[in-house]
Amino acid sequence: MLIEAENLNHTYALGTPLAQVALRDVNLQIGPGERVGILGASGSGKTTLVQHLAGLLQPTEGRVLLDGIVAHRRTPAALAQRRRIGIAFQNPEDQIFEQTVFREVAFGPRNLGLSQAEVATRVAWALELVGLNPTLMGGRIPFALSGGEMRRVALAGILAMRPHVLILDEPTAGLDPRGRQELLRRVKRWHQEMGLTLIVVSHNLDELARLVERVVLLKAGRVVADGPARRVLSDAALLRSAGLDVPHSVALLHALRAAGWPVRTDQLLPEEAAAEILRVRRAMEEIR
Amino acid sequence: MNLLLPGMYMAADSPLHRLDPRVKMGASLLLMALPFAAQSPLSQVLLVGLVIAVARLSRAPLLALLRTLRTVFWIGFFMFFFFLFTTPGEVLVNIQGITLTWQGLLAGATQIYRLCLLVIITALLTFTTSSIQLAHGLESVLGPLKRLRLPVAELVMVLTIALRFVPTVFDEIEKLVKAQRARGADFRSGNPWRRMRGWIAVFVPLFVSAFRRAEELAIAMEARGFRGAQHRTRLYQLSLTRADWLAILIVLAVSLIALLVEQRGSLL
Ligand SMILES: Nc1ncnc2c1ncn2[C@@H]1O[C@H](COP(=O)(O)OP(=O)(O)OP(=O)(O)O)[C@@H](O)[C@H]1O
Ligand SMILES: [Mg+2]
Repeated sequence: MLIEAENLNHTYALGTPLAQVALRDVNLQIGPGERVGILGASGSGKTTLVQHLAGLLQPTEGRVLLDGIVAHRRTPAALAQRRRIGIAFQNPEDQIFEQTVFREVAFGPRNLGLSQAEVATRVAWALELVGLNPTLMGGRIPFALSGGEMRRVALAGILAMRPHVLILDEPTAGLDPRGRQELLRRVKRWHQEMGLTLIVVSHNLDELARLVERVVLLKAGRVVADGPARRVLSDAALLRSAGLDVPHSVALLHALRAAGWPVRTDQLLPEEAAAEILRVRRAMEEIR
Repeated sequence: MNLLLPGMYMAADSPLHRLDPRVKMGASLLLMALPFAAQSPLSQVLLVGLVIAVARLSRAPLLALLRTLRTVFWIGFFMFFFFLFTTPGEVLVNIQGITLTWQGLLAGATQIYRLCLLVIITALLTFTTSSIQLAHGLESVLGPLKRLRLPVAELVMVLTIALRFVPTVFDEIEKLVKAQRARGADFRSGNPWRRMRGWIAVFVPLFVSAFRRAEELAIAMEARGFRGAQHRTRLYQLSLTRADWLAILIVLAVSLIALLVEQRGSLL
Protein backbone atom coordinates (compact mmCIF):
# COMPACT_ATOMS: atom_id res chain seq x y z
CA MET A 1 0.00 0.00 0.00
CA LEU A 2 1.22 3.48 -0.84
CA ILE A 3 0.65 6.05 1.87
CA GLU A 4 0.95 9.70 0.95
CA ALA A 5 0.59 12.77 3.13
CA GLU A 6 0.06 15.90 1.08
CA ASN A 7 0.56 19.28 2.68
CA LEU A 8 -0.85 17.88 5.90
CA ASN A 9 -1.70 20.35 8.67
CA HIS A 10 -3.36 19.59 11.95
CA THR A 11 -4.51 21.95 14.68
CA TYR A 12 -6.19 20.61 17.80
CA ALA A 13 -9.07 22.60 19.29
CA LEU A 14 -9.18 24.82 16.24
CA GLY A 15 -11.02 28.09 16.77
CA THR A 16 -10.68 28.05 20.55
CA PRO A 17 -8.11 29.69 22.81
CA LEU A 18 -6.70 26.22 23.43
CA ALA A 19 -5.80 25.77 19.75
CA GLN A 20 -2.59 23.81 19.37
CA VAL A 21 -0.82 23.31 16.07
CA ALA A 22 0.44 19.73 15.94
CA LEU A 23 1.46 19.29 12.28
CA ARG A 24 2.62 21.83 9.72
CA ASP A 25 2.87 21.19 5.98
CA VAL A 26 3.88 17.57 6.23
CA ASN A 27 4.64 15.86 2.93
CA LEU A 28 5.51 12.21 3.04
CA GLN A 29 5.35 9.05 0.94
CA ILE A 30 5.67 5.59 2.36
CA GLY A 31 5.83 2.71 -0.08
CA PRO A 32 4.86 -0.95 0.38
CA GLY A 33 7.20 -2.97 2.57
CA GLU A 34 9.15 0.00 3.89
CA ARG A 35 10.32 0.20 7.49
CA VAL A 36 10.01 3.79 8.61
CA GLY A 37 10.75 5.31 12.00
CA ILE A 38 8.98 8.46 13.12
CA LEU A 39 11.25 10.33 15.48
CA GLY A 40 10.88 13.54 17.44
CA ALA A 41 10.88 15.06 20.89
CA SER A 42 7.82 14.91 23.12
CA GLY A 43 4.98 16.94 21.65
CA SER A 44 6.56 17.12 18.20
CA GLY A 45 3.49 15.58 16.57
CA LYS A 46 4.50 11.93 16.09
CA THR A 47 1.27 10.47 17.41
CA THR A 48 -0.82 12.96 15.49
CA LEU A 49 1.03 12.11 12.29
CA VAL A 50 0.60 8.35 12.55
CA GLN A 51 -3.08 8.69 13.46
CA HIS A 52 -3.48 10.67 10.25
CA LEU A 53 -1.67 7.99 8.27
CA ALA A 54 -4.21 5.51 9.66
CA GLY A 55 -7.07 7.79 8.56
CA LEU A 56 -8.28 8.33 12.12
CA LEU A 57 -8.13 12.12 12.15
CA GLN A 58 -9.53 14.72 9.86
CA PRO A 59 -6.80 17.05 8.60
CA THR A 60 -7.20 20.75 9.23
CA GLU A 61 -5.62 21.19 5.82
CA GLY A 62 -4.15 18.86 3.22
CA ARG A 63 -4.89 15.16 2.99
CA VAL A 64 -3.66 11.62 3.38
CA LEU A 65 -4.02 9.24 0.47
CA LEU A 66 -4.06 5.47 0.85
CA ASP A 67 -3.40 3.99 -2.59
CA GLY A 68 -4.81 7.21 -3.99
CA ILE A 69 -7.95 7.27 -1.85
CA VAL A 70 -8.54 10.05 0.69
CA ALA A 71 -8.09 8.33 4.03
CA HIS A 72 -10.45 9.92 6.54
CA ARG A 73 -13.62 10.01 4.41
CA ARG A 74 -16.69 8.03 5.32
CA THR A 75 -16.93 6.26 1.98
CA PRO A 76 -16.78 2.45 1.67
CA ALA A 77 -13.62 2.78 -0.43
CA ALA A 78 -11.86 4.76 2.29
CA LEU A 79 -13.08 2.32 4.94
CA ALA A 80 -11.70 -0.60 2.95
CA GLN A 81 -8.31 1.13 2.72
CA ARG A 82 -8.27 1.97 6.42
CA ARG A 83 -8.93 -1.65 7.29
CA ARG A 84 -5.62 -2.56 5.68
CA ILE A 85 -3.83 -0.48 8.30
CA GLY A 86 -3.29 -1.76 11.81
CA ILE A 87 -2.33 0.79 14.43
CA ALA A 88 -1.27 0.11 18.00
CA PHE A 89 -1.65 3.21 20.12
CA GLN A 90 0.74 4.10 22.89
CA ASN A 91 0.03 1.62 25.73
CA PRO A 92 -2.40 -0.46 23.64
CA GLU A 93 -3.20 -2.60 26.69
CA ASP A 94 -5.33 0.33 27.91
CA GLN A 95 -7.91 -0.57 25.26
CA ILE A 96 -8.55 -4.10 26.44
CA PHE A 97 -12.18 -4.62 27.39
CA GLU A 98 -13.28 -8.23 26.88
CA GLN A 99 -13.63 -10.97 29.50
CA THR A 100 -11.29 -13.41 27.81
CA VAL A 101 -8.15 -13.15 25.74
CA PHE A 102 -9.83 -14.98 22.88
CA ARG A 103 -12.74 -12.56 22.70
CA GLU A 104 -10.43 -9.59 22.98
CA VAL A 105 -8.33 -10.69 20.01
CA ALA A 106 -11.48 -11.66 18.12
CA PHE A 107 -12.99 -8.14 18.34
CA GLY A 108 -11.26 -6.89 15.18
CA PRO A 109 -11.84 -9.95 12.97
CA ARG A 110 -15.49 -10.04 14.09
CA ASN A 111 -15.88 -6.43 13.07
CA LEU A 112 -14.59 -7.44 9.66
CA GLY A 113 -17.63 -9.74 9.44
CA LEU A 114 -15.67 -12.98 9.19
CA SER A 115 -17.17 -16.40 9.91
CA GLN A 116 -16.80 -17.97 13.37
CA ALA A 117 -14.31 -20.52 12.06
CA GLU A 118 -12.22 -17.91 10.30
CA VAL A 119 -12.25 -15.73 13.42
CA ALA A 120 -11.00 -18.65 15.53
CA THR A 121 -8.22 -19.42 13.04
CA ARG A 122 -7.11 -15.82 13.00
CA VAL A 123 -7.13 -15.50 16.79
CA ALA A 124 -4.98 -18.61 17.18
CA TRP A 125 -2.63 -17.41 14.45
CA ALA A 126 -2.30 -13.94 15.96
CA LEU A 127 -1.70 -15.25 19.49
CA GLU A 128 1.06 -17.51 18.14
CA LEU A 129 2.60 -14.50 16.41
CA VAL A 130 2.94 -12.61 19.69
CA GLY A 131 4.27 -15.70 21.45
CA LEU A 132 1.20 -16.63 23.48
CA ASN A 133 -0.13 -20.16 23.45
CA PRO A 134 -3.73 -20.00 22.13
CA THR A 135 -4.97 -23.04 24.04
CA LEU A 136 -3.45 -21.96 27.34
CA MET A 137 -4.16 -18.25 27.05
CA GLY A 138 -7.40 -18.09 25.07
CA GLY A 139 -9.67 -18.54 28.08
CA ARG A 140 -7.82 -16.32 30.51
CA ILE A 141 -9.00 -12.95 31.79
CA PRO A 142 -6.90 -10.25 30.13
CA PHE A 143 -6.97 -7.96 33.18
CA ALA A 144 -5.30 -10.68 35.27
CA LEU A 145 -2.27 -10.84 32.96
CA SER A 146 1.02 -9.03 33.42
CA GLY A 147 1.54 -5.70 31.67
CA GLY A 148 3.82 -7.27 29.09
CA GLU A 149 1.36 -10.05 28.35
CA MET A 150 -1.48 -7.56 28.06
CA ARG A 151 0.54 -5.59 25.55
CA ARG A 152 1.01 -8.74 23.50
CA VAL A 153 -2.70 -9.54 23.64
CA ALA A 154 -3.45 -6.03 22.40
CA LEU A 155 -0.98 -6.42 19.55
CA ALA A 156 -2.49 -9.78 18.66
CA GLY A 157 -5.87 -8.05 18.43
CA ILE A 158 -4.44 -5.80 15.76
CA LEU A 159 -2.49 -8.46 13.88
CA ALA A 160 -5.59 -10.66 13.77
CA MET A 161 -7.06 -8.17 11.30
CA ARG A 162 -4.21 -9.08 8.92
CA PRO A 163 -3.12 -5.53 8.15
CA HIS A 164 -0.81 -4.68 5.26
CA VAL A 165 0.61 -1.77 7.19
CA LEU A 166 1.46 -1.95 10.87
CA ILE A 167 1.83 1.29 12.80
CA LEU A 168 3.30 1.06 16.29
CA ASP A 169 3.27 4.09 18.58
CA GLU A 170 6.01 3.65 21.20
CA PRO A 171 5.65 -0.13 21.17
CA THR A 172 8.28 -0.83 23.82
CA ALA A 173 7.47 1.95 26.28
CA GLY A 174 7.12 0.53 29.76
CA LEU A 175 8.52 -2.95 28.97
CA ASP A 176 11.57 -4.39 30.67
CA PRO A 177 14.76 -4.78 28.60
CA ARG A 178 14.04 -8.39 27.77
CA GLY A 179 10.46 -7.63 26.83
CA ARG A 180 11.71 -4.84 24.57
CA GLN A 181 14.28 -7.02 22.82
CA GLU A 182 11.81 -9.80 22.28
CA LEU A 183 9.13 -7.50 20.92
CA LEU A 184 11.57 -5.86 18.52
CA ARG A 185 12.72 -9.24 17.27
CA ARG A 186 9.12 -10.28 16.68
CA VAL A 187 8.21 -7.07 14.90
CA LYS A 188 11.14 -7.54 12.58
CA ARG A 189 10.07 -11.09 11.89
CA TRP A 190 6.51 -10.00 11.07
CA HIS A 191 7.93 -7.55 8.57
CA GLN A 192 10.04 -10.23 6.91
CA GLU A 193 7.47 -12.99 6.87
CA MET A 194 4.35 -11.04 5.95
CA GLY A 195 5.87 -8.24 3.93
CA LEU A 196 4.26 -5.70 6.24
CA THR A 197 4.94 -2.03 5.88
CA LEU A 198 6.23 -0.94 9.25
CA ILE A 199 5.84 2.52 10.74
CA VAL A 200 7.30 2.85 14.22
CA VAL A 201 7.14 5.85 16.53
CA SER A 202 9.85 5.98 19.15
CA HIS A 203 12.18 8.22 21.09
CA ASN A 204 14.54 5.33 21.57
CA LEU A 205 17.20 5.79 18.92
CA ASP A 206 18.98 2.53 19.62
CA GLU A 207 15.77 0.63 19.03
CA LEU A 208 14.95 2.53 15.87
CA ALA A 209 18.46 1.91 14.57
CA ARG A 210 17.79 -1.81 14.83
CA LEU A 211 14.32 -1.74 13.40
CA VAL A 212 13.98 0.74 10.56
CA GLU A 213 15.77 1.66 7.36
CA ARG A 214 14.35 5.15 7.01
CA VAL A 215 13.77 7.88 9.57
CA VAL A 216 11.39 10.83 9.47
CA LEU A 217 12.41 13.46 12.01
CA LEU A 218 9.79 15.85 13.36
CA LYS A 219 10.35 19.10 15.16
CA ALA A 220 7.42 21.19 16.36
CA GLY A 221 5.11 19.54 13.83
CA ARG A 222 7.41 19.95 10.84
CA VAL A 223 9.41 17.29 9.02
CA VAL A 224 13.01 18.45 9.42
CA ALA A 225 14.67 15.35 8.00
CA ASP A 226 13.55 12.33 6.01
CA GLY A 227 16.15 9.87 4.83
CA PRO A 228 18.11 6.67 5.38
CA ALA A 229 18.35 5.78 9.07
CA ARG A 230 22.14 5.70 8.82
CA ARG A 231 22.30 9.30 7.68
CA VAL A 232 19.66 10.82 9.99
CA LEU A 233 20.58 8.89 13.13
CA SER A 234 24.29 9.73 12.87
CA ASP A 235 23.75 13.45 12.34
CA ALA A 236 24.36 14.63 15.88
CA ALA A 237 23.80 18.33 15.15
CA LEU A 238 20.46 17.65 13.47
CA LEU A 239 19.23 15.35 16.23
CA ARG A 240 20.27 17.73 18.98
CA SER A 241 18.57 20.66 17.26
CA ALA A 242 15.38 18.59 17.29
CA GLY A 243 15.71 18.09 21.04
CA LEU A 244 17.00 14.52 20.86
CA ASP A 245 20.20 12.70 21.66
CA VAL A 246 22.18 10.39 19.36
CA PRO A 247 22.33 6.57 19.49
CA HIS A 248 24.87 5.34 22.02
CA SER A 249 27.16 3.90 19.36
CA VAL A 250 27.18 7.17 17.45
CA ALA A 251 27.93 9.12 20.64
CA LEU A 252 30.86 6.80 21.33
CA LEU A 253 32.23 7.16 17.80
CA HIS A 254 31.91 10.94 17.98
CA ALA A 255 33.85 10.92 21.26
CA LEU A 256 36.58 8.78 19.71
CA ARG A 257 36.75 11.10 16.75
CA ALA A 258 37.10 14.09 19.05
CA ALA A 259 39.98 12.23 20.71
CA GLY A 260 41.73 11.96 17.35
CA TRP A 261 40.65 8.54 16.09
CA PRO A 262 39.70 8.62 12.40
CA VAL A 263 36.54 6.55 12.84
CA ARG A 264 33.39 6.84 10.73
CA THR A 265 30.53 8.04 12.89
CA ASP A 266 27.62 6.51 10.97
CA GLN A 267 27.77 3.07 12.58
CA LEU A 268 24.48 2.88 14.48
CA LEU A 269 24.59 -0.49 16.21
CA PRO A 270 27.01 -1.54 18.96
CA GLU A 271 28.36 -4.40 16.87
CA GLU A 272 28.88 -2.06 13.90
CA ALA A 273 30.64 0.45 16.13
CA ALA A 274 32.85 -2.30 17.58
CA ALA A 275 33.81 -3.47 14.10
CA GLU A 276 34.61 0.10 13.07
CA ILE A 277 36.80 0.66 16.14
CA LEU A 278 38.65 -2.59 15.51
CA ARG A 279 39.16 -1.68 11.85
CA VAL A 280 40.64 1.69 12.72
CA ARG A 281 42.83 0.24 15.44
CA ARG A 282 44.19 -2.35 13.06
CA ALA A 283 44.87 0.33 10.46
CA MET A 284 46.67 2.46 13.03
CA GLU A 285 48.78 -0.49 14.18
CA GLU A 286 49.76 -1.20 10.59
CA ILE A 287 50.90 2.38 10.15
CA ARG A 288 52.97 2.10 13.28
CA MET B 1 -10.92 18.22 22.68
CA ASN B 2 -12.37 19.91 19.68
CA LEU B 3 -14.67 22.29 21.49
CA LEU B 4 -14.72 24.26 24.65
CA LEU B 5 -17.45 22.89 26.83
CA PRO B 6 -19.03 25.05 29.45
CA GLY B 7 -17.21 23.76 32.49
CA MET B 8 -13.75 24.13 31.03
CA TYR B 9 -11.35 26.69 32.38
CA MET B 10 -9.58 28.95 29.93
CA ALA B 11 -6.27 30.01 31.41
CA ALA B 12 -5.79 33.69 30.64
CA ASP B 13 -5.65 36.99 32.40
CA SER B 14 -8.61 39.32 32.23
CA PRO B 15 -10.44 41.59 34.65
CA LEU B 16 -13.00 38.83 34.95
CA HIS B 17 -10.37 36.21 35.76
CA ARG B 18 -9.16 38.37 38.62
CA LEU B 19 -12.53 38.79 40.29
CA ASP B 20 -13.25 36.98 43.54
CA PRO B 21 -14.87 33.60 42.79
CA ARG B 22 -17.62 34.26 45.35
CA VAL B 23 -18.58 37.45 43.55
CA LYS B 24 -18.62 35.68 40.20
CA MET B 25 -20.72 32.81 41.51
CA GLY B 26 -23.19 35.11 43.22
CA ALA B 27 -23.48 37.37 40.21
CA SER B 28 -23.98 34.38 37.90
CA LEU B 29 -26.81 33.04 40.02
CA LEU B 30 -28.46 36.43 40.19
CA LEU B 31 -28.21 37.03 36.45
CA MET B 32 -29.47 33.53 35.66
CA ALA B 33 -32.52 34.08 37.86
CA LEU B 34 -33.21 37.55 36.51
CA PRO B 35 -35.02 36.63 33.27
CA PHE B 36 -37.54 34.68 35.34
CA ALA B 37 -38.33 37.65 37.57
CA ALA B 38 -38.05 40.46 35.05
CA GLN B 39 -39.73 39.70 31.77
CA SER B 40 -40.17 43.03 30.05
CA PRO B 41 -38.22 43.54 26.83
CA LEU B 42 -36.38 46.51 28.30
CA SER B 43 -35.06 44.41 31.22
CA GLN B 44 -33.90 41.80 28.74
CA VAL B 45 -32.02 44.40 26.71
CA LEU B 46 -30.29 45.52 29.89
CA LEU B 47 -29.45 41.99 30.92
CA VAL B 48 -28.17 40.91 27.50
CA GLY B 49 -26.18 44.12 27.28
CA LEU B 50 -24.51 43.33 30.58
CA VAL B 51 -23.76 39.76 29.53
CA ILE B 52 -22.20 40.97 26.29
CA ALA B 53 -20.10 43.51 28.18
CA VAL B 54 -18.94 40.80 30.59
CA ALA B 55 -18.14 38.49 27.68
CA ARG B 56 -15.97 41.21 26.12
CA LEU B 57 -14.23 41.72 29.45
CA SER B 58 -13.53 38.01 29.84
CA ARG B 59 -11.46 37.96 26.61
CA ALA B 60 -13.23 34.72 25.69
CA PRO B 61 -13.49 34.54 21.88
CA LEU B 62 -17.09 35.06 20.85
CA LEU B 63 -17.08 31.99 18.65
CA ALA B 64 -15.91 29.70 21.45
CA LEU B 65 -18.57 31.12 23.70
CA LEU B 66 -21.35 30.63 21.17
CA ARG B 67 -20.11 27.14 20.47
CA THR B 68 -20.88 26.09 24.02
CA LEU B 69 -24.55 26.44 23.06
CA ARG B 70 -24.16 23.32 20.96
CA THR B 71 -24.13 21.27 24.15
CA VAL B 72 -27.79 22.11 24.80
CA PHE B 73 -28.95 22.02 21.20
CA TRP B 74 -31.17 18.96 21.59
CA ILE B 75 -32.60 19.99 24.94
CA GLY B 76 -33.41 23.38 23.46
CA PHE B 77 -34.87 21.78 20.37
CA PHE B 78 -37.27 19.61 22.36
CA MET B 79 -38.16 22.34 24.80
CA PHE B 80 -39.05 24.66 21.95
CA PHE B 81 -41.38 22.19 20.31
CA PHE B 82 -42.87 21.13 23.61
CA PHE B 83 -43.91 24.69 24.41
CA LEU B 84 -44.84 25.38 20.80
CA PHE B 85 -47.42 22.61 20.72
CA THR B 86 -48.68 22.56 24.28
CA THR B 87 -49.33 26.23 25.01
CA PRO B 88 -52.98 27.13 24.56
CA GLY B 89 -53.86 30.41 22.88
CA GLU B 90 -54.51 32.07 19.58
CA VAL B 91 -54.22 29.39 16.90
CA LEU B 92 -51.70 30.08 14.15
CA VAL B 93 -51.73 26.79 12.28
CA ASN B 94 -53.88 23.74 12.65
CA ILE B 95 -52.60 20.51 11.15
CA GLN B 96 -55.02 17.66 11.67
CA GLY B 97 -55.90 18.58 15.21
CA ILE B 98 -52.38 19.53 16.27
CA THR B 99 -52.47 23.23 16.95
CA LEU B 100 -49.67 25.65 16.90
CA THR B 101 -50.30 28.88 18.77
CA TRP B 102 -48.83 32.33 18.75
CA GLN B 103 -48.42 32.10 22.51
CA GLY B 104 -46.66 28.77 22.06
CA LEU B 105 -44.19 30.28 19.65
CA LEU B 106 -43.47 33.03 22.13
CA ALA B 107 -43.17 30.63 25.07
CA GLY B 108 -40.84 28.35 23.10
CA ALA B 109 -38.63 31.25 22.09
CA THR B 110 -38.56 32.49 25.70
CA GLN B 111 -37.41 29.09 26.92
CA ILE B 112 -34.65 28.96 24.33
CA TYR B 113 -33.56 32.44 25.30
CA ARG B 114 -33.40 31.54 28.99
CA LEU B 115 -31.53 28.34 28.27
CA CYS B 116 -28.97 30.15 26.12
CA LEU B 117 -28.46 32.75 28.79
CA LEU B 118 -28.01 30.02 31.39
CA VAL B 119 -25.36 28.28 29.31
CA ILE B 120 -23.52 31.45 28.35
CA ILE B 121 -23.38 32.70 31.93
CA THR B 122 -22.19 29.31 33.19
CA ALA B 123 -19.58 29.24 30.44
CA LEU B 124 -18.38 32.73 31.33
CA LEU B 125 -18.07 31.69 34.96
CA THR B 126 -16.18 28.49 34.29
CA PHE B 127 -14.02 29.90 31.47
CA THR B 128 -12.69 32.54 33.83
CA THR B 129 -12.61 30.67 37.15
CA SER B 130 -10.40 27.66 37.72
CA SER B 131 -11.88 24.69 39.52
CA ILE B 132 -9.62 25.41 42.48
CA GLN B 133 -10.98 28.95 42.75
CA LEU B 134 -14.54 27.68 42.34
CA ALA B 135 -14.02 25.19 45.12
CA HIS B 136 -12.35 27.76 47.32
CA GLY B 137 -15.24 30.16 46.81
CA LEU B 138 -17.78 27.44 47.42
CA GLU B 139 -16.07 26.35 50.60
CA SER B 140 -16.02 29.91 51.85
CA VAL B 141 -19.70 30.47 51.00
CA LEU B 142 -20.76 27.16 52.54
CA GLY B 143 -18.46 27.70 55.52
CA PRO B 144 -21.28 28.38 58.03
CA LEU B 145 -22.71 24.91 57.31
CA LYS B 146 -19.64 23.42 58.95
CA ARG B 147 -21.20 24.31 62.30
CA LEU B 148 -23.99 21.88 61.46
CA ARG B 149 -21.26 19.24 61.17
CA LEU B 150 -21.68 18.96 57.44
CA PRO B 151 -18.39 17.83 55.83
CA VAL B 152 -18.23 20.91 53.60
CA ALA B 153 -14.48 20.79 53.06
CA GLU B 154 -14.58 17.13 52.05
CA LEU B 155 -17.48 17.63 49.68
CA VAL B 156 -15.71 20.55 48.06
CA MET B 157 -12.57 18.44 47.72
CA VAL B 158 -14.55 15.70 46.00
CA LEU B 159 -16.06 18.29 43.69
CA THR B 160 -12.67 19.79 42.85
CA ILE B 161 -11.21 16.42 42.01
CA ALA B 162 -14.22 15.50 39.88
CA LEU B 163 -13.99 18.76 37.97
CA ARG B 164 -10.28 18.31 37.51
CA PHE B 165 -10.84 15.01 35.72
CA VAL B 166 -13.61 16.09 33.35
CA PRO B 167 -11.25 17.09 30.52
CA THR B 168 -9.10 14.02 31.15
CA VAL B 169 -12.10 11.76 30.73
CA PHE B 170 -13.13 13.47 27.50
CA ASP B 171 -9.63 13.12 26.09
CA GLU B 172 -9.61 9.49 27.05
CA ILE B 173 -12.95 8.82 25.38
CA GLU B 174 -11.67 10.45 22.23
CA LYS B 175 -8.54 8.31 22.27
CA LEU B 176 -10.45 5.09 22.92
CA VAL B 177 -12.94 5.84 20.15
CA LYS B 178 -10.06 6.26 17.71
CA ALA B 179 -8.32 3.11 18.93
CA GLN B 180 -11.41 0.93 18.66
CA ARG B 181 -12.36 2.47 15.34
CA ALA B 182 -8.98 1.31 14.09
CA ARG B 183 -10.06 -2.19 15.15
CA GLY B 184 -13.16 -1.95 13.01
CA ALA B 185 -15.60 -0.74 15.68
CA ASP B 186 -18.47 1.25 14.24
CA PHE B 187 -19.94 4.18 16.15
CA ARG B 188 -21.90 6.03 13.52
CA SER B 189 -23.50 3.69 11.06
CA GLY B 190 -24.01 -0.04 11.24
CA ASN B 191 -26.69 -1.85 13.19
CA PRO B 192 -27.44 -0.88 16.81
CA TRP B 193 -25.93 -4.11 18.14
CA ARG B 194 -22.58 -3.36 16.55
CA ARG B 195 -22.70 0.22 17.67
CA MET B 196 -23.36 -0.90 21.21
CA ARG B 197 -20.41 -3.28 21.08
CA GLY B 198 -18.30 -0.34 19.98
CA TRP B 199 -19.35 1.73 22.97
CA ILE B 200 -18.74 -1.17 25.35
CA ALA B 201 -15.22 -1.33 23.95
CA VAL B 202 -14.85 2.33 24.90
CA PHE B 203 -16.53 2.43 28.30
CA VAL B 204 -15.06 -0.69 29.87
CA PRO B 205 -11.45 0.52 29.50
CA LEU B 206 -12.59 4.00 30.50
CA PHE B 207 -13.91 2.71 33.83
CA VAL B 208 -10.93 0.47 34.36
CA SER B 209 -8.59 3.44 34.01
CA ALA B 210 -10.85 5.68 36.12
CA PHE B 211 -10.70 3.22 39.00
CA ARG B 212 -6.98 2.82 38.62
CA ARG B 213 -6.55 6.58 38.62
CA ALA B 214 -8.73 6.94 41.71
CA GLU B 215 -6.62 4.40 43.52
CA GLU B 216 -3.37 6.06 42.50
CA LEU B 217 -4.70 9.45 43.52
CA ALA B 218 -5.80 8.13 46.91
CA ILE B 219 -2.37 6.64 47.54
CA ALA B 220 -0.62 9.79 46.37
CA MET B 221 -2.77 11.97 48.63
CA GLU B 222 -2.21 9.74 51.60
CA ALA B 223 1.51 9.61 50.94
CA ARG B 224 1.57 13.39 51.14
CA GLY B 225 -0.20 13.42 54.48
CA PHE B 226 -3.78 14.13 53.46
CA ARG B 227 -5.98 13.37 56.47
CA GLY B 228 -9.28 14.88 55.56
CA ALA B 229 -9.90 18.35 54.32
CA GLN B 230 -10.68 20.05 57.65
CA HIS B 231 -6.98 20.21 58.49
CA ARG B 232 -6.19 22.09 55.32
CA THR B 233 -5.17 25.70 55.28
CA ARG B 234 -5.08 27.95 52.25
CA LEU B 235 -2.08 29.67 50.75
CA TYR B 236 -4.28 32.40 49.29
CA GLN B 237 -7.08 33.86 51.37
CA LEU B 238 -10.05 35.32 49.60
CA SER B 239 -10.63 38.99 50.13
CA LEU B 240 -12.73 41.44 48.20
CA THR B 241 -10.90 44.10 46.21
CA ARG B 242 -12.19 47.37 44.84
CA ALA B 243 -12.88 45.67 41.49
CA ASP B 244 -15.01 43.09 43.31
CA TRP B 245 -17.08 45.79 44.99
CA LEU B 246 -17.49 47.56 41.67
CA ALA B 247 -18.69 44.32 40.06
CA ILE B 248 -21.16 43.73 42.87
CA LEU B 249 -22.42 47.29 42.49
CA ILE B 250 -22.89 47.00 38.73
CA VAL B 251 -24.66 43.66 38.87
CA LEU B 252 -26.95 44.79 41.69
CA ALA B 253 -27.71 48.04 39.89
CA VAL B 254 -28.59 46.32 36.65
CA SER B 255 -30.76 43.78 38.45
CA LEU B 256 -32.53 46.49 40.39
CA ILE B 257 -33.18 48.60 37.35
CA ALA B 258 -34.43 45.57 35.44
CA LEU B 259 -36.84 44.78 38.25
CA LEU B 260 -37.97 48.41 38.56
CA VAL B 261 -38.63 48.63 34.84
CA GLU B 262 -40.67 45.50 35.29
CA GLN B 263 -42.75 47.10 38.08
CA ARG B 264 -43.33 50.23 36.06
CA GLY B 265 -44.20 48.11 33.05
CA SER B 266 -46.85 46.20 34.93
CA LEU B 267 -48.26 49.40 36.42
CA LEU B 268 -48.69 50.97 33.03
N1 LIG C 1 -6.24 15.51 21.90
C1 LIG C 1 -5.51 16.63 21.91
N2 LIG C 1 -6.04 17.84 22.16
C2 LIG C 1 -5.30 18.96 22.16
N3 LIG C 1 -4.00 18.98 21.90
C3 LIG C 1 -3.39 17.82 21.64
C4 LIG C 1 -4.11 16.57 21.63
N4 LIG C 1 -3.23 15.59 21.33
C5 LIG C 1 -2.05 16.18 21.18
N5 LIG C 1 -2.13 17.52 21.36
C6 LIG C 1 -1.01 18.49 21.23
O1 LIG C 1 -0.46 18.38 19.93
C7 LIG C 1 0.95 18.38 19.96
C8 LIG C 1 1.50 17.11 19.34
O2 LIG C 1 1.09 16.01 20.12
P1 LIG C 1 1.47 14.51 19.79
O3 LIG C 1 0.75 13.65 20.76
O4 LIG C 1 1.24 14.24 18.35
O5 LIG C 1 3.03 14.51 20.11
P2 LIG C 1 4.03 13.28 20.24
O6 LIG C 1 5.19 13.60 19.38
O7 LIG C 1 3.33 11.99 20.00
O8 LIG C 1 4.48 13.39 21.78
P3 LIG C 1 4.86 12.21 22.81
O9 LIG C 1 6.25 11.80 22.47
O10 LIG C 1 4.81 12.92 24.12
O11 LIG C 1 3.87 11.12 22.68
C9 LIG C 1 1.33 18.55 21.43
O12 LIG C 1 1.65 19.89 21.63
C10 LIG C 1 0.10 18.16 22.18
O13 LIG C 1 0.00 18.92 23.36
MG1 LIG D 1 2.86 10.29 21.21
